[in-house]
Amino acid sequence: MSSPAIISLEDVSFCYGERDERALDDVSLKIFPGEFVGVTGPSGAGKSTLAAVLSGAVPHHYRGSLYGAAIVDGHDTCEVSLTDIARTVGSVTQDIDAQMVASVVEDELLFGLENFGVPHDQIEGRLSGALETVGISELRDREIATLSGGQKQKVAVAAILALRPRVLVLDEPTAALDPASSKLIFQTLSQLNRTEGITVVVIEQKVALLSEFCGRVLVMDGGRLALDGTPREVFAHGSELRRMGVDSPRVARVSNSLAEHGVIEPGPPCLSVEEAEALIRGLLAGRGKKSPVVTSRSARDDALGDAPSHASPHAPAPRRAEEAAPPVVDLRDVSFAYPGSGDGVSHVNLAFRPGELVGVVGQNGAGKTTLTKLLNGLLRPASGEVRIAGIDTRAVPVSRIAAHVATLFQNPDRQLCKDTVLDEVAFGLELQGVDGEGARRRAAAAIERFGLPAGESPFSLSRGQRQMVALASVVVMEPQVVLLDEPTSGLDYRECMTVMETVREMAERGCAVIMVCHDMEVVSDFAERVVVMAGGRVLADGRAAEVFSRPEVMEAASIEAPQVAQLSRALALSSSEKFAGISQVSGIVDLVEEMVRP
Amino acid sequence: MTSVIDYVPGDTLLHRLNPVTKLAVAVAVIVATLLADTYPLLVGLIALTLALGAYAGALRRLTSLLKVLVPLAAIMLALQTAVVRTGAPVAAWITVDGLVTGSKACLRLLGVAMPLILMLSVTKMGDLANACVEVLHVPYRYAFTFTTALRFVPVFSQEMTAIMEAQTARGVEYDTRNPFRKLRLMLPMCVPLLVSSVGKTDATALAAEQRGFYLRTRESSYRRYPLVARDWATLACCVALVAIGAAL
Repeated sequence: MSSPAIISLEDVSFCYGERDERALDDVSLKIFPGEFVGVTGPSGAGKSTLAAVLSGAVPHHYRGSLYGAAIVDGHDTCEVSLTDIARTVGSVTQDIDAQMVASVVEDELLFGLENFGVPHDQIEGRLSGALETVGISELRDREIATLSGGQKQKVAVAAILALRPRVLVLDEPTAALDPASSKLIFQTLSQLNRTEGITVVVIEQKVALLSEFCGRVLVMDGGRLALDGTPREVFAHGSELRRMGVDSPRVARVSNSLAEHGVIEPGPPCLSVEEAEALIRGLLAGRGKKSPVVTSRSARDDALGDAPSHASPHAPAPRRAEEAAPPVVDLRDVSFAYPGSGDGVSHVNLAFRPGELVGVVGQNGAGKTTLTKLLNGLLRPASGEVRIAGIDTRAVPVSRIAAHVATLFQNPDRQLCKDTVLDEVAFGLELQGVDGEGARRRAAAAIERFGLPAGESPFSLSRGQRQMVALASVVVMEPQVVLLDEPTSGLDYRECMTVMETVREMAERGCAVIMVCHDMEVVSDFAERVVVMAGGRVLADGRAAEVFSRPEVMEAASIEAPQVAQLSRALALSSSEKFAGISQVSGIVDLVEEMVRP
Repeated sequence: MTSVIDYVPGDTLLHRLNPVTKLAVAVAVIVATLLADTYPLLVGLIALTLALGAYAGALRRLTSLLKVLVPLAAIMLALQTAVVRTGAPVAAWITVDGLVTGSKACLRLLGVAMPLILMLSVTKMGDLANACVEVLHVPYRYAFTFTTALRFVPVFSQEMTAIMEAQTARGVEYDTRNPFRKLRLMLPMCVPLLVSSVGKTDATALAAEQRGFYLRTRESSYRRYPLVARDWATLACCVALVAIGAAL
């Protein structure tokens, strides 16, 4: 780190427009060549503003008051043009569709090369080189509109890469991606960082990715730089992070929690499943406990089995047996295909009962969204039958199905259309024929519960609050079925928990909750049943802990089991079968404590 | 939903023409259609457009456009017959003059709408913009604005579809059969669409600037768009076409 910083911020503060509140508050920071820096923090912490300062968009594009100095490659960003800063810092913003300037991949890369006057005899080399580095040479002639989210993200990175920036700043590049594509993006960035020596600064909510790939993690809170250090240093502050509303990798929580319980000495946390497994295995072996290491083949198979009959007391008990209740949603041999493509679902048989909270997981394109659209009536099955509360969805208009099924969409902005929060929340009820007075009374109660400003325009609120407004308008409907399409994307950890606690309460009141979700940790925390989809078919359907402990299913669906499930499975194999099926951090910690303390 | 102006890949002569020449072909057909006043020529020009479409493999694009245009043309015909009531009566209020002016107006509508769509569907937007900048000396920022606007059409229509789906799932009756009611329900949706489109255009402007938009000159383009022999030959045909249109 003896080389001078490539970017340094000195006491930087920034207020947007005429506002007084500081989006960034006195941030000082040095970024050195070759670093791989991750930035995380709750919503409204100033992460995107920080990215804008690093890339020169502040002060050149966004209006406001900037204090302090931002030095990029030796130049104060106020004194050079945005174009000049862009020669050093390449930036990929959050909205990937808006980032694109051309309609064909090749033109997208050419745009910057041509503008910056790269000699024409070098252009071909740079263009094919950038595509190759990111691994998308075969996409060169494709129309951008036909690409998947992950592919578009890679095109955006390649287009910047072709310009050979020394620093790459990315704002939540994986927000819209499934776990497999997210990891691929980080692998690509990591490779660029190692082999090309490009400095990477990436804003990210997925803490497991940060801890795996970044050499340094910055945590922002309230516009300030709250923590700055290696992932191990930062995630050692588990409780502090939780207070801010920032998640920690589950394995870090396990080791932090063990330390809090006095089982191990406080110290740097584990960052991978292997580390945590080794730590606990060592603990158990070291204490000379009579926890026999499973060796016999039958016992081993048992530990791996789908439903261990002697299920660990630490595995969550099924919340309530709703087996008796007739299903409120019933899909029988349902198939649907989009015209002109192979996507869709085929021969799906599923039933959802009142009070169930079911997670639907799988890669992008696995048919999850098609499934939700079949459930809320936006799509009608090509063959087979979908019944919601006994109604065949083909027999009634979608607007009638809405009386039974409420959907919370990934992007709340598509749902909001009224001038005030109160009108917005009451709107759904009014559509279902509840009289104005009654609708507003119920809406006001729901709004109060979420602590939302009833009189304000929904569009003036933050992203997280807009999602809460959308959630309030779902809750107020008191539907029999709730569909959640990526309910946690774009939300910070605390907002995510509010959403999930709310839907859990709805499930407890007898509502069937079906959520499509990429975040396996959220699924394993809240869903008691998991449906795994791949290629339009249902691969597995069962209790969450069981499904997540079946590696062949996880692999076939290209999903990674939640860290705790991986850990408990590894421990069941290496240390004690008692670990089998544990899905919560507390379960592991309690069991370890019990085993090491006679 | 795909847009009517998606690129149809191919390697026909039509594809290989200079984008500016293609534009000239479209303009020539349109001008000729507007000037023409006889049935054979009007029908012939439409047939020419369709033949070019078939040759370039973009016939389906044109027929789907026709599906929209023909009902529109029928309404125009009915209106024209109601307005123009000179000449010998045929039946009810319809007169020979009405039928003649009406049917010619319909044919013109079809003849004017199709060529531009055909030419745009065999040209990549980037090529069109670059060629206009190089050959016609159009300032790049106008070309960029134009191509970006075209590029945003499908993006926004997808956004609109998503918004309507979200609202339908809430119980807004977009599935009503009454078109006026549907239109009235759609108006409030302009708010979320406007909010997202303003955000998107601003982000695109920033992304373009960060990739050297303001450094771009007429010489920047990597691909060159010289007018070659086949372009000059085609341009000559265009002039001839306009002349025929004016004469007949």
